[in-house]
Amino acid sequence: MITAEQQTRWQERQLAALTPPHRGPDSGDLLERVRQQARASLPDQPVLNRKQEAWRYTSVDKLLAQTYAAPRHREELGEADIAGYDLPELDGYRLVFHNGQCLPKLARLDGLPQGAIAGSLRACLSTDGGLISRHLGQQAGLEGNLFTALNGSLIDNGLLLHIGAGVELDRPIQIVHISEGLGQAVVSQPRHLIVLEAGARATVVEHFVGQDADGYFHNNLAEIVLGEHAALEHYRLQDEGDASYHLSSLYLQLQAASLYRGTALSFGGAWARTDYKVAFAGEAASCDLSGLYTAGDEQLNDIHLDVRHNLPRCTSRERFKGIAHGQGHAVFDGRVLVERDAQRSDARLKNDNLMLSRKAMIDTKPQLEIYADDVVCSHGTTVGQIEPDQLFYLRSRGIGPATALRMLCQGFAGEIVEDMDSEPLREHAYARLSSILDNAGQTE
Amino acid sequence: MLSIKNLQVSVEDKPILHGLDLQVGRGEVHAIMGPNGSGKSTLSYVLAGREGYQVTGGEVSFDGVDLLGMEPEERARAGLFLGMQYPVELPGVNNMSFIRESLNAIREARGEAPLDAVAFMQRVREKARLVGLNEKLLKRSVNSGFSGGEKKRNEILQLAMLEPKLAILDETDSGLDIDALRVIAEGVNSLRDPQRAMIVVTHYQRLLDYIRPDHVHVLIGGRIVRSGGPELAQELERRGYAWLEEEAA
Repeated sequence: MITAEQQTRWQERQLAALTPPHRGPDSGDLLERVRQQARASLPDQPVLNRKQEAWRYTSVDKLLAQTYAAPRHREELGEADIAGYDLPELDGYRLVFHNGQCLPKLARLDGLPQGAIAGSLRACLSTDGGLISRHLGQQAGLEGNLFTALNGSLIDNGLLLHIGAGVELDRPIQIVHISEGLGQAVVSQPRHLIVLEAGARATVVEHFVGQDADGYFHNNLAEIVLGEHAALEHYRLQDEGDASYHLSSLYLQLQAASLYRGTALSFGGAWARTDYKVAFAGEAASCDLSGLYTAGDEQLNDIHLDVRHNLPRCTSRERFKGIAHGQGHAVFDGRVLVERDAQRSDARLKNDNLMLSRKAMIDTKPQLEIYADDVVCSHGTTVGQIEPDQLFYLRSRGIGPATALRMLCQGFAGEIVEDMDSEPLREHAYARLSSILDNAGQTE
Repeated sequence: MLSIKNLQVSVEDKPILHGLDLQVGRGEVHAIMGPNGSGKSTLSYVLAGREGYQVTGGEVSFDGVDLLGMEPEERARAGLFLGMQYPVELPGVNNMSFIRESLNAIREARGEAPLDAVAFMQRVREKARLVGLNEKLLKRSVNSGFSGGEKKRNEILQLAMLEPKLAILDETDSGLDIDALRVIAEGVNSLRDPQRAMIVVTHYQRLLDYIRPDHVHVLIGGRIVRSGGPELAQELERRGYAWLEEEAA
């Protein structure tokens, strides 16, 4: 278990190893302001050990046992290098990040509607500084942790996506995040800012992939702001390399009558965690979070939700399904808080888990805290196994046991996958699940 | 085609079948009747290869091959089909995809090419009409939320699609009203074929008014205590099982 001293030493080593080179006047005071704020908060960050409720099931011991170097960037990467990571069937716009830096050569933004900005945060500093200044660090300042503070302390680049009032992004935009150590353990910490102004609409597909021989750490932080009546469809495909560490910290602010639909498919990494923090900033907003996550041998996969109904008439849906196989460890900790003034809130939290082996481990903790009296809320959790009768039924129809298992698991996942409004994404999800189950081998 | 000799089966160390003999030839329809607890479902399941049934003696050969040494999917691929008394629900598994997966696994084992999507759709629709299954249920999850009758129709639909050499229908009539029974029986009758054998397992004679068997066997206490023609079913309908149970005891 990590001690306060170990954590402090790690963060000092990281700061020393990673202080970004000064990049000239364009980085301006803006990023430096965020850095200084985050740095000032570092000493106050709690120790991430089991005594912290939010980190109780998620040991960071292995992660902090290593010091991560700043990654090298390969600006020369071409189409051929990313062929396996791209989802061409999506037929959308595209931005590619390599170790946290945008690769402009690989961007595909032709025809981007007027009023939409998509690009690297750093490149936009000179043109859209006001916009960035208004939002950057506003959401993420609250209730952070060691990793979010570290991300802020070293903020350097990331994504800026801004959709102007009333503008609709006509095609999805795909953001490919590629990580690789190139011979050393590295950390990349991109910072993403997604702002949809009033009435704007967009679909964003993020894909996290990597070459992981050296066990990189991808520590991204996204701040997402939806204006009134804005709607964002946000898919996140986490297919990091097998030995990697992945942390996604998402901070959402939803203004009146806005709609956020987030789907997380988290399959990769040796240690992976997705943290959603949702705050409503206007009434009648709606937040729909769903996801599918798997954990096999030597793998921890963790989904954390913190949804705060702080204003009346907002709706939230949380539906997550986990599959643990081999000696995998799957964690779900979903907290929905309904504050006293949040009357007529509607919140439904559900987590279902499938255990494919005796040695797998599942922690699930749905928490619903209600302080208002006129609300519709529910929560539930299940942990189950494949029913022998279901397996027998399929086998009695000539279907082999491996295929039968895959069909039942896909059936279990179907509730999440079928709700995705994109055929290529559904196919991707089923294909990934298939290959995970094929490699999982015999169940015990 | 199917030869069962002195079959003895236990469930959780409790003997259920005590030396059962049965010979079923190509094109024949056999009915196995018996009171509750006589071992009817055990016989069905042990032939299909369900877990939890210990064969303690005897042998079963199917087309000359040792059936009991085969995995459930191998039995299905060899041409054995069990229409279940309680078909399980498979949430999230699309009924049409399931039937297609099943059919293509069996076709592959028979050395046939998989059916393409169009040919499959045509056939599954035609067979769904034959057994009176609403086409909407093809798009739903397998048996999920189906009524008792719909589940049974779905079983017979699979029978019609898979065209097995030997079909075992376990209590296919249970839970059916008379109209559903008639439709299902018509479906089964249309699948009678000189190359195909059937074993109809039932508690009541009612089903046999619609599916006329060539042979009727009475299973009591884990043994076949009497065999005869269709008239034996009529006699059971009149007299019940008690007189045979007394004789067997």
